[in-house]
Amino acid sequence: MVASSCSSAPESGKFAREEVGNDGFLARHNGQIFAEGRSFSGNERDKLFLNDGAGSFLDLSDLSGADSPNDGRAVIAFDADDDGDVDLFVHETQRERHAMYRNDLGTAPGFVKIKLRATTGNAEAIGAQVEVVAGDRKVSQVLSRGAGFISCQAPELIFGLGGAPAATVTVRWPGGAVEAFGEVTLGARVLLVEGASEAEAYGAAPRPLPDPKPRGLLVSVGDRIAPFEVLDAAGAPVLIDPAATGERVALNLWASYCAPCVAELPLLEEWDAGEDMRVIAVSVDAPSDRTRALELLSQRAPALGVHLAGDPRPGVRSIQDVVDLARLPLPTTLMLSPDGTVEEILRGPVEPR
Amino acid sequence: MHRRTDSTAWTSAMALALCLASTPGCGGDGGGAPTEPEKDAVLELPGEIAAPDRPVTSVEAVEDETEALADSLIEFAEVLRKRRFDEAKEWFSPELVAHAAVGHSEASRTALPLGVERIKYDVEASAGVGRDGFMDSLRSLLGEWRSVDSMLWKVKGASFQRGRSRWGRLDLKIHITGVDASGGMVSVHGRGDARVTRTRGRFLLDQLLLHKWEVERRSAPIFTEVAASTGLAHTWARFGTDANNSFHWNGAAAGDVDGDGDWDLFVPSDDQNFLYIAQPDGTWSDEADERGVGSPDRGTGAVFFDCDNDGDQDLMVGHTGWPLAGGKMGGERCRIFLNDGAGQFTDAPGGPGLQEPFVAYTLTVFDFDGDGWLDVHVCGYGRVDVEHNNSWTEATNGSPNGLLRNLGTDAEGRFLGFENVAAAAGIEDVRWSYAAASADVDLDGDADLYVANDYGSNRLWINQGDGTFVDGSEDQGVVDKGSGMGASFGDLTGDGSLDLYVSNMSSTAGSRILGRLKEDIDAETHALLKKLAAGNSIFTRDGDAFARVPGEQGGIGASWAWSPALFDVDLDGDLDVFCTNGFVTGELAFDT
Repeated sequence: MVASSCSSAPESGKFAREEVGNDGFLARHNGQIFAEGRSFSGNERDKLFLNDGAGSFLDLSDLSGADSPNDGRAVIAFDADDDGDVDLFVHETQRERHAMYRNDLGTAPGFVKIKLRATTGNAEAIGAQVEVVAGDRKVSQVLSRGAGFISCQAPELIFGLGGAPAATVTVRWPGGAVEAFGEVTLGARVLLVEGASEAEAYGAAPRPLPDPKPRGLLVSVGDRIAPFEVLDAAGAPVLIDPAATGERVALNLWASYCAPCVAELPLLEEWDAGEDMRVIAVSVDAPSDRTRALELLSQRAPALGVHLAGDPRPGVRSIQDVVDLARLPLPTTLMLSPDGTVEEILRGPVEPR
Repeated sequence: MHRRTDSTAWTSAMALALCLASTPGCGGDGGGAPTEPEKDAVLELPGEIAAPDRPVTSVEAVEDETEALADSLIEFAEVLRKRRFDEAKEWFSPELVAHAAVGHSEASRTALPLGVERIKYDVEASAGVGRDGFMDSLRSLLGEWRSVDSMLWKVKGASFQRGRSRWGRLDLKIHITGVDASGGMVSVHGRGDARVTRTRGRFLLDQLLLHKWEVERRSAPIFTEVAASTGLAHTWARFGTDANNSFHWNGAAAGDVDGDGDWDLFVPSDDQNFLYIAQPDGTWSDEADERGVGSPDRGTGAVFFDCDNDGDQDLMVGHTGWPLAGGKMGGERCRIFLNDGAGQFTDAPGGPGLQEPFVAYTLTVFDFDGDGWLDVHVCGYGRVDVEHNNSWTEATNGSPNGLLRNLGTDAEGRFLGFENVAAAAGIEDVRWSYAAASADVDLDGDADLYVANDYGSNRLWINQGDGTFVDGSEDQGVVDKGSGMGASFGDLTGDGSLDLYVSNMSSTAGSRILGRLKEDIDAETHALLKKLAAGNSIFTRDGDAFARVPGEQGGIGASWAWSPALFDVDLDGDLDVFCTNGFVTGELAFDT
């Protein structure tokens, strides 16, 4: 049914037209369009719809910070840090990425967290329906393990209180028995045991999720960069060991379409020609842009070595263990000590030294 | 009319200088020197863009042309997203007359929830600009953003004049997102009509009349992505390369495998499995191999649950397998890993049910027979590498679904595994099932099951309380014919009853073609096709059945959607929706 939703296909709509018809598009084009780096129903970002309380929704995807274009499949909405709000883990298909989205809205409107234990049916109470009434708001959730698409939820339900100081909680247990647990106050974490009629509080165990690494980087200052693989001008894999030179290293990430990157290539070449520093400039261009990158490099900094970000190979560290190409601001330059340790992260154009 | 008064002073050179000085990653032409623009005069815009008087009528010919145009605009949008303004200019005629991207007077400013501000511009009151003025306006809009994350120029409809010198009129949707100079999240929505001419095989826009121009902004994102700092970051081969080219999808599961009170994650992948054990410092560490769940890889759906009622979380992992001659099996069978209570797992035989081949995707845990032993429904899809759906609207050649009844333990407490009772239970469906969710829909005390099917209608299996199910999807109003991808239950209307969210596939091209087919096909077929292109579905529980929530209420506008999650993102007392989306995005790098 998706007749033509390719997004970053640079050349023609050939494959999209061929796809109309039930003749095995996926199998035939496997290894063709995707190997070339083209898209099919691509750049369709994950969505966040905000409920107005009456079942109408506002599309906040663009402003969510969680609208990844990397083709999410499974998602788990759970309180990863036990701070009372709901975070998201997403398993993406493009490059098998794992994304962890920390909810940064804060918990001011209040919450209650609920775990369940049944005594008559399945002990985990899977399928139990919990209704929470807080102020003028009522909402029900069901305890699920395996819903959505290939996603298994955590066995804990989180209810927002919308500013109310407390909520009344009712459980419909598997088997159909309905049990009222009375009032639970804001911020409570409770275990509801079937037949107990009273909520049993349990303690919080917060484990704040660390702030993100510098955007687009998988390393921080102080981390040592182990050898990683890139491609040479001919597309052959080359192992780069920043510590092998025994000198300070500027590891520069650039792309042909990034004007400040291209502008600073001659300066980097100058650094590399100096006595106390080597420069490793890695182009992160897509395969379709690599020719342009090579041209620019030969024009602007012919003495610099050619390093291209390629596709990682099994069991081999690649530049993508150092940077996340999907999020990396350009240019970025990592200043490394002679043993390969990150000393400084330079964002934007480098300054003459 | 309000417009920039200093537009002539805004040269490309200045824009580029600003970009260099303040905007890491800001683009521009990689090597080209900036050029002086011509004087940016105020131009008269036509009242409307004329429609072709001798239009091309063949649906196929129009779609071919539209698609070529759409592809050209995809290329343009990527160039503009990278802010190669001088290159982007090549998509516009030197004779362009257009509404600019900035400089319009505000029509309204609305405060939306969560501190979001929406500004609507009175774009129709603005005068026009020429090509250089238009390019300057794009520079002015985007030049200082920290990143342009998404740039879409979509053709929502088009008609073309017959003849050699072909021109057309198109309905254009513009959508731009990114992070502005002060770190705010920004989203621009435009809609308008444009005239396009095809010259020497190239499309050139020569008129652009906007009738909608809106900007939404929030001072910060709602979520911060922290995979790298929490030990969860992983990247693998680009999709389409030899190492990562299968069209089966790997899921994720949350549970407390070591009983320490925090949430661990199991993530099957094509290259390796991950068992991320939560650490007190807010990170996770992958211990899949050490804890016995490192192989086999290539799992699909996975679920944590206590299958042997010993108080810990066991793990079932779905795989794609298929029957071969002589009772043999191709692919991989589903696995059950038993937890020893401390988070060490053993790959157990799992009884006769786990010796059967399933093309398994979503696994759903429920106690369908109410015996206190948790059972598992297995969605069976189809083998896309060797067979094709035999219908787009009611395919019946998928792999059978499974119902794995838990056999409990023997007298010594040994787990006996599962048997597949799908046939006896009446739910051995051969639709292309991707996803399922369980709840007691009719409130009679037993667990019912909704199954979302690709290429056809979905099923609501109503539990009869005797180990069998009957299909209640028609009676309950949740057939939702289409390409079902995911399903979740939750109360979206705040009345205490569980509603149903179903994710589907939809497409711009599909809607566009339907618009043209309207006169050629019967109303029923058109309605079905329209449904197939519509997006996700929300069914609200209304008395004894469900009612479809009208699309105007929002919440369904995804494209190729996958997993919905219903949760309260802002803790305001209602459930919001997150939904994964998109098939394959092929670019290697994004210059964010």
